[in-house]
Amino acid sequence: MKAWKWFEGSRVGRSVFRVGIPRSNLERAQAMVSSFLLHVQPAKVNRRTLRPATTLGLGLISLYLLGILTVTGILLMFYYVPATDRAYDAMKDLQYVVSAGLVIRNMHRWAAHLMVLFVMLHLCRVFYTGAYKRPREFNWLVGIALFLLTLGLSFTGYLLPWDQLAFWAITVGANIAAYAPVVGPELKFLILGGNSVGQEALIRFYTLHVIVLPALMAFMVSVHLWRVRKDGGLARPEEGADRLERIDVEHLPTNKSYGLMELTRSTSLQVGKNPEDEVFSWPHLVFREMLLLLAVIAVVLFLAVFWNAPLEEVANAIHPPNPAKAPWYFLGLQELVSYSAFWGGVVAPAVLVTALVMLPYLDRQAVGAGRWFARERRLANTVFTIFLIIAVVLTVIGSVFRGPNWGWVKPWAQPPAVTEGH
Amino acid sequence: MSLENPRRLYPAFILLGAAVCILVAAAYYRDEFRQWKDIQRQFIREEMRRASTPQQRLLARNIPVQIRQVVLPELRRVDRCTTCHMAVEDPSYGGFPQPLAYHPLHDQHPFERFGCTVCHRGQGHATTTADAHGHVPYWDQPMLPLRYIQASCGQCHEAADNPAAPELARGEQVFESNGCRGCHKLGGVGGVIGPELDRVGGRRSADWLMAHFRSPASVTPDSAMPPQKFSQADLEAITLFMLSQTGASMTGFYTSMKVVPSAAQGRHLFQQKGCIGCHSLGGKGGSIGPALDDVGMRRAPEWIMRHFRDPQSVTPGSVMPKFGFNESEVLALTEFLLHLRDQNLALSLPSLMSPVERGKEIFRKFGCAGCHGQDGKGGVPNPNAKTGEQVPALLHVADGYTREELVKFITMGRHQVDALDAKRPAPPLYMPAWGAVIEPAEMADLASYIFSLKPKGDDLGF
Repeated sequence: MKAWKWFEGSRVGRSVFRVGIPRSNLERAQAMVSSFLLHVQPAKVNRRTLRPATTLGLGLISLYLLGILTVTGILLMFYYVPATDRAYDAMKDLQYVVSAGLVIRNMHRWAAHLMVLFVMLHLCRVFYTGAYKRPREFNWLVGIALFLLTLGLSFTGYLLPWDQLAFWAITVGANIAAYAPVVGPELKFLILGGNSVGQEALIRFYTLHVIVLPALMAFMVSVHLWRVRKDGGLARPEEGADRLERIDVEHLPTNKSYGLMELTRSTSLQVGKNPEDEVFSWPHLVFREMLLLLAVIAVVLFLAVFWNAPLEEVANAIHPPNPAKAPWYFLGLQELVSYSAFWGGVVAPAVLVTALVMLPYLDRQAVGAGRWFARERRLANTVFTIFLIIAVVLTVIGSVFRGPNWGWVKPWAQPPAVTEGH
Repeated sequence: MSLENPRRLYPAFILLGAAVCILVAAAYYRDEFRQWKDIQRQFIREEMRRASTPQQRLLARNIPVQIRQVVLPELRRVDRCTTCHMAVEDPSYGGFPQPLAYHPLHDQHPFERFGCTVCHRGQGHATTTADAHGHVPYWDQPMLPLRYIQASCGQCHEAADNPAAPELARGEQVFESNGCRGCHKLGGVGGVIGPELDRVGGRRSADWLMAHFRSPASVTPDSAMPPQKFSQADLEAITLFMLSQTGASMTGFYTSMKVVPSAAQGRHLFQQKGCIGCHSLGGKGGSIGPALDDVGMRRAPEWIMRHFRDPQSVTPGSVMPKFGFNESEVLALTEFLLHLRDQNLALSLPSLMSPVERGKEIFRKFGCAGCHGQDGKGGVPNPNAKTGEQVPALLHVADGYTREELVKFITMGRHQVDALDAKRPAPPLYMPAWGAVIEPAEMADLASYIFSLKPKGDDLGF
């Protein structure tokens, strides 16, 4: 501790950390502004922000998972070769001879699945709290783009191990794309670089997975976070609807030299509000965020240590598994496609994405923003929930209730004795 | 309110921090402490125990604990078996318990050239026992049980006349003499009723094959194949032969193994080049050159080989022309002559046989016995067939067909077999059209053979 204090006070330490560990409110504000990593967030935040129930931290968890994916993904790139005759061997080498190879691949796999899940949950949270309403409509659009990018990253990464699971999931996914009217077959050809999954598809997916989509992702995430600031932080209940208890706190100095930093265009920010509603981001917000980071790392590590990422036989274009299933987040679609290729594979996803994009411009009513399941939004919430339940039910059916030839199976029943071979 | 006090969060920091540390330690433990390292240390301890001089002890102590592997780019394999099986090349570990046992008989197949899995199968990449031995989900090449190991010889070497793989040769013999080809194609030759067998050895396990031979329907519910009544030894031999049919294509250096000169090839060449025009075997053939029955005993292999290259160089004044054989042909022919002690090999030269004998050979070659029974005696079930629910025997064909009608019938086949009961499923076995497969000359011999099956003195007097 003493050494740290000395370092902090030294010329070098001051040049790096500027403020050091803050000891006054002024320094707490300065700490936030003078640090590149922290300046994304305001110096002071509303007390609501600190309450877990406000956002459940879903967006931040997604961001942390993206971070874990970036680090583990770069490590995996040192060993992976995007060639059909070497990719699978690289997986085996990671598992058997590369130091920490298996756990890093596991972390990447589980973090990827978790990220898809948490991005979806984050979307639901934003809907149920009406947080897409003015002035946050555009950020909702950016969020939809990020959601699609997440699916794209997961889908392109799915092929890379080049095992049966990868090969046939991508084949099924590409076939769903081919159901689009007019451009469908061309679209499939564009995705795969050919008519079937092969070397061309592998290099395409690899390039998209490690360069194109991550770059887009980084850019869009930056826009997303910047917009959160510009739109006045988290959506907050309108005046008078804030049911947060007012709490007596220690006396705060009234000379708010940090006040300027909170100036934004928004009307919903703390302007004109009682300073009692606010706390300093350092340490209250930052500490909680760091705790959440630890928790996310712990969960991903836990999964990675105890459950291995799946790796089936090497991809074989002659022996499709029965049934061949898409990645889990597309299984709802695949289930729909099994009823009707056009309605399930084209109309349903198109309507869904269009509806999500249009949502903030259709639902222009200002009330209900910033509160969970606001009474005034009963209709919207009900419609959304119905769609959500349908999506979940379809996905569950596609995941566990579908067996050979996409026929019904009872997952709890003993699987039929599979004859060996193919 | 406590929300304001960051100290309230410290326990959570400590708890989560500890959780992350423990998990990192667990990940490290899983990564660092591996079974193969213990085995390598066991090997080092054994070497230390055996060391008698300080120098040897030092050498033993300095054996590094590390992954060992054989990289075989041509075979697209990386075999890490020697990571645990460290003593495979050290005869002093003969009889030592696995995994540190010595591997005998590897002189002709050095590990650095062949690795391990090309013969033993299993998962060469893997470095844990279960994964490496391959009896795990998603690995369809588990280790071949040792009693079937000769199946692997068949990937590169001819099954027949391979003295090191008698079981494989026996398996091939069982396959050919029981008429399996009548329904199954192997190497492009055979019937079309059952599936092709070129890759069956890589897809099916020994247990599956055994169960299938005993009762095909038990593992393939709608199989038309009749149960086979093999002796236990024959059953194991044909299972082994089936396991050898992996369809694996070897490249480069390994391909050359495929053409290891064999007596069978020599026999083929002997026939093809018309040697019998001048030389005789078993009393049949020409008399310009000497009889060759005992040449393998009279002459040294080197002499025979020189003779094939240039007859006059060892027998001045010989009238035998220089045929210009290449080295592999010279070896094959020499091999053939040396094997002539095995009378069957010599006498099975087609040109030395009568039409009936040749026909019998063709009957065997195309697996007719698979459906019509050994020597055409019938007895093979064909459920719901009008002919007594059996495939017809051939003993009385001579009474019902002229030679031309018979040849035509075999050429065209009969795809619709009359059913006993129209309500039951159609009989599974039928007569394929053999016209595209059996050549006309062979067809004539086959007809002669089938006509010869009629029991003597059994004229029904039509």
